[in-house]
Amino acid sequence: MEQESKFGRRDFIRVAATAAAAGAAWAAAHPSSGTTVWQLDPAKCLQCGRCSTTCVLNPSAVKCVHSFEICGYCDLCGGYLQPGAKARDSGAENELCPVGALKRTFVEEPFYQYTIDEELCVGCGKCVKGCAVFGNGSLYLQVKHDVCVGCNECSIARNCPANAFQRVPVRNSYLLKTRENGGKGHK
Amino acid sequence: MPRNKPKKKRFTASDLIWKAATGVAVVSGLFSLTVSILLVANYVQVTAINPLDTPQLLQLRQQLAAAPEADAKLIEQIRTMDLLARRAFFTSQSHLKLGGSLLLGGVIVLLTALRTARRFKPRLPEPQGPPPSEHYWISRAFTKEVLTFVGLLWAAAALVMAYLTPLDVPSAAATAPVADAGNAAADAGTTAAYPSWETMQQNWPSFRGPGGYGVAHFSTAPTEWDVATGKNVKWQVEVPLPGANSPVVWDKRVFLSGATEEKREVYCFDTETGKLVWSRVLDKFSGTPEKPPKVGDETGYAASTLVAHGDRVMAIFANGDLACYDAEGNLKWGKNLGVPDNHYGHSSSLLACQNLLFIQYDQRKNGKLIALDIADGKEAWTVNREKISWASPVCVQTPFGPELVLNSEQHVDAYDPLKGTALWQLKCLDGEVAPSPAYGGGMFFVANDNATATAIRFAPDDKTPKPEIAWQWDQSLPDVSSPVGTDKHFYMTTSRAEIICLDSASGEVAWVQEVDEGFYASPILAGDRIYAVDRKGAVHIFKTGQPFTPIATPSVGGEEVLATPAVMDGRIYFRAGKNLLCIGA
Amino acid sequence: MKLKLLAAVFLLLGLWTVQAATEFRFPMPEFESGYKHPAMSIPPASKTSPWVDLGLLAGALALSAWSVLRLRSRRYVFLIALVSLAYFGFYRKGCVCAVGSMQNILSAFFDPGYAVPLIVSAFFLIPLLFALYFGRVFCAAVCPLGAIQEMFAIFPVQLSSAVEAVLGLFAYAYLGLSVLAVYMGAGFLICRYDPFVGFFRQGASFNMFLAGGVLLLAGVFIARPYCRFLCPYGVLLRWASRFSKWHATITPAECIQCRLCETSCPYGAIVVPTPEDRPVDQRTGARRMGRLFLAAPFIIVIAAGAGYLSHEPLARLHPTVWLAERVAGEEQGRYEEKTIDGDAFRAGKRAATELYAEAHALKERFKYASACFGAFMGLVLCGKLIRLSIVRSNKDYVVDRGACLSCARCFAYCPVEKSHAAK
Repeated sequence: MEQESKFGRRDFIRVAATAAAAGAAWAAAHPSSGTTVWQLDPAKCLQCGRCSTTCVLNPSAVKCVHSFEICGYCDLCGGYLQPGAKARDSGAENELCPVGALKRTFVEEPFYQYTIDEELCVGCGKCVKGCAVFGNGSLYLQVKHDVCVGCNECSIARNCPANAFQRVPVRNSYLLKTRENGGKGHK
Repeated sequence: MPRNKPKKKRFTASDLIWKAATGVAVVSGLFSLTVSILLVANYVQVTAINPLDTPQLLQLRQQLAAAPEADAKLIEQIRTMDLLARRAFFTSQSHLKLGGSLLLGGVIVLLTALRTARRFKPRLPEPQGPPPSEHYWISRAFTKEVLTFVGLLWAAAALVMAYLTPLDVPSAAATAPVADAGNAAADAGTTAAYPSWETMQQNWPSFRGPGGYGVAHFSTAPTEWDVATGKNVKWQVEVPLPGANSPVVWDKRVFLSGATEEKREVYCFDTETGKLVWSRVLDKFSGTPEKPPKVGDETGYAASTLVAHGDRVMAIFANGDLACYDAEGNLKWGKNLGVPDNHYGHSSSLLACQNLLFIQYDQRKNGKLIALDIADGKEAWTVNREKISWASPVCVQTPFGPELVLNSEQHVDAYDPLKGTALWQLKCLDGEVAPSPAYGGGMFFVANDNATATAIRFAPDDKTPKPEIAWQWDQSLPDVSSPVGTDKHFYMTTSRAEIICLDSASGEVAWVQEVDEGFYASPILAGDRIYAVDRKGAVHIFKTGQPFTPIATPSVGGEEVLATPAVMDGRIYFRAGKNLLCIGA
Repeated sequence: MKLKLLAAVFLLLGLWTVQAATEFRFPMPEFESGYKHPAMSIPPASKTSPWVDLGLLAGALALSAWSVLRLRSRRYVFLIALVSLAYFGFYRKGCVCAVGSMQNILSAFFDPGYAVPLIVSAFFLIPLLFALYFGRVFCAAVCPLGAIQEMFAIFPVQLSSAVEAVLGLFAYAYLGLSVLAVYMGAGFLICRYDPFVGFFRQGASFNMFLAGGVLLLAGVFIARPYCRFLCPYGVLLRWASRFSKWHATITPAECIQCRLCETSCPYGAIVVPTPEDRPVDQRTGARRMGRLFLAAPFIIVIAAGAGYLSHEPLARLHPTVWLAERVAGEEQGRYEEKTIDGDAFRAGKRAATELYAEAHALKERFKYASACFGAFMGLVLCGKLIRLSIVRSNKDYVVDRGACLSCARCFAYCPVEKSHAAK
């Protein structure tokens, strides 16, 4: 080959390209920024149902979660029962959840505890809507990080009409509704 | 003879293995194909009916909800249908899962079999025909032609696509441009809460700090650093465009602006790293002049300091452009206030209180004090101003309530910040006034070169403030730098390189200290220390009170300093020449 | 002063919690039975340390380079590809990926507020640096997208150079479009239209599965169609690899011109020796070249013009523009049914006019960006034409360093290899 020992044109370009690529990568990097994951802000969520249909996973990585500490433990639960339900039991005509993922157990008169079976939940947000309309909003959607594959561009985020998806630090990866934050999901 | 192990045998043929592998491949291929077809069929079926949202079921449910009594037959119908729907959904789910795994397995077997078959009936390397000399050149030329043709085809396709599918969005002419004030009115409801006075004190929201009268609410600012060695210098960055405005700080952000004759920019830096978080070039608003008015060399096109208020930051420039951004740099609103009629250039800084932004828009004619709603940029109130000035407003929580106090040629005026009504006026100034008022020990203090310095006091028991001149002093006075007050003294730094301390009770000179350089930046009171930066960047740090007790005189580099520093908890931000520095740990 | 401030803060906090409590419609019950609510299940995100990913990437690249350049073993390359496919593909679900990282890097340049972790930067940089020194060893065995196609490339056929060149243009167009989309803030096209990631996660839209399946099946004969004709990162690697310091060679020693390797490369990366008889003499060739150079600016301008004129369809890439058109359409009754997006927008506080104005502002920016995209395509076309016009004489069978994926297929075909190995 030509110019075996001399520092030729190609060597120059290579060194320049190495420097440029490394420079670009270094300039772009934000050393302080750690890994982030997708999460949805329950305060913005409109319960449109897209979470269950636009996630790359089937069923979706978005599931309903329940903040017990802000739950009213109502007997007449807007998240559990169909609007206008004639009885407060688990009959298909009364139950709101289409897959029966929301379970109701008696605690003490007149309070009931509601828990979610995540195996079944598809993240459709029907119960979330019910609880938001008539309840404390203690049922809400969150991205479950044991399921989420962490796409670079979240497919749900792109399709979310409320722009409720955002990247959050991996250490603090849930926007939970608590009594302290007034059920807003964040401070 | 040590001999390298020969590489694996290549091109070995075996008819038996080939046959077996081909057989496996055919079977697994057929299997995979069947599974794929079933999967597709399943998918199509499920999307077609969408079992969880069957319209019939929905209708039945509504029927039941509307019925006054529970109808057993209807309920039975719903239960049956719901069961079917759930079964369809879960069966389809499990089929998809199972099908996926089966397909994956099938494909792996297929690929392995195909590879094995191929390996044991290899295509042997064999010499090709004669050297394709002619073919070589023809193919090269042909490739070029085809490429040219495809290029043209793409361009044509792009044009056809552009012609056939124009964007159908109603014209912007029918609507106001997005950047003009008022359009953001819809956002107004969401930003009703404004930062409290306590929150403002934890930040450095405006020129000369919270309220704008030169008092920092932290006493932890550093006194020792060395820019040359980098000691105690957290970071230092270059600000892209020039500007005489001073840094303001809110939370983790430092804001500055810069401008030339052509361009106006707002910058947001990270307080921790000094990294430029965002920078925004101002668009033209309706009324923005093609060229900004003439300004003095020392004033420049971005003399007015910004104001940061909660999640908003606002900036004004020499051409009268005013823009409001949120913390992320999204333009919330903006407008041109009319080109200022001002022979040195507009230099009054912005101030914010509650939900209002105040602009001291003093000009040769038609001067105004404007209060805008920060949420949407709509005018809350305006009052006319008679005389021109280059001073900035201050907002003080006096015993009589909050007062917005402004200097101008001849007068000191106080207004109610929320309504704009005039509270009091005192005639005690003269000349071209650039220094802004100071406040200390219940008194206002104003000063301007070639006029007199005046301490303004108020009768303590009156319900409404009635100003009176406590005392006056008419020797060397500042012409750019604003004074600052403590309970006992007022301090001035002059362009003639003096630091002057006056006793606020008597009006006597407590001391005068001469230094090497004059001052444009205003002194800042932080705890029991005063920080005064001269024009060469020497920071004179001295103790308040008598006599003059210097603490240190570190420098912020040799560059000219026009801007007043922002003094925060353990940190000071300086704009020196082209640079923005953060001093502190 | 301090006390006062503290008191004020407490007062504020106190007021605030009272306010917060009143926001709940139903009071939280006080249980007499001593009931304690169960804990919420909030599993943390995957615990795979990014440094493990980075280490494996660098390790796999080094192994791949070693296998190609020193061991000259296709078997090892294939094995590394299998491991990469299993780890970066099926285990990490394809979402720590050098191909997509390009968009994060670009985002950071176009939007200073966009935070790119160091790891992502490294994922973008390391394969490029390897390409600059060792050729496209990333494509050979490390990239999971390449690896899954490699598994399918069983009966590769050779394409004519014209077809290869034309299809190759699509990769540049894809690169240009992805950069355009990132510049305009319209999202990450490369990730959205990644055809194989669906197989890794066993989940994707039907259309993406279909596209991926078609590409894989086509890839049985037309080896690695995504790598050659679509991959935007591959374009960068192609550029880098042209200047590689050490690159795989067909033969470990002297080429004996046996022509056996001619049919071995499925990627058209083997350059045959230049025939002696040039159809045109040097001067005619130079004149043609000159004409091409003169025409180049015009080609670029025309391409930029075509790009400029198609800014309206391109603007639809941006979700805001798309939404504005949709909302306008729904308002003017162009669509039968309303979408969730339209409903959500109408339920919000923004005025439609504001949305339209924003869409128009974006459209204006698209004019410039689309023209740049067009110019880039013009430049690419000119570059290809010029490269085809320059005849560099070579007497041996050599590798086209840009196109070569370092797959090591050709080694087996070289008789020199055998005698060399035997030594």
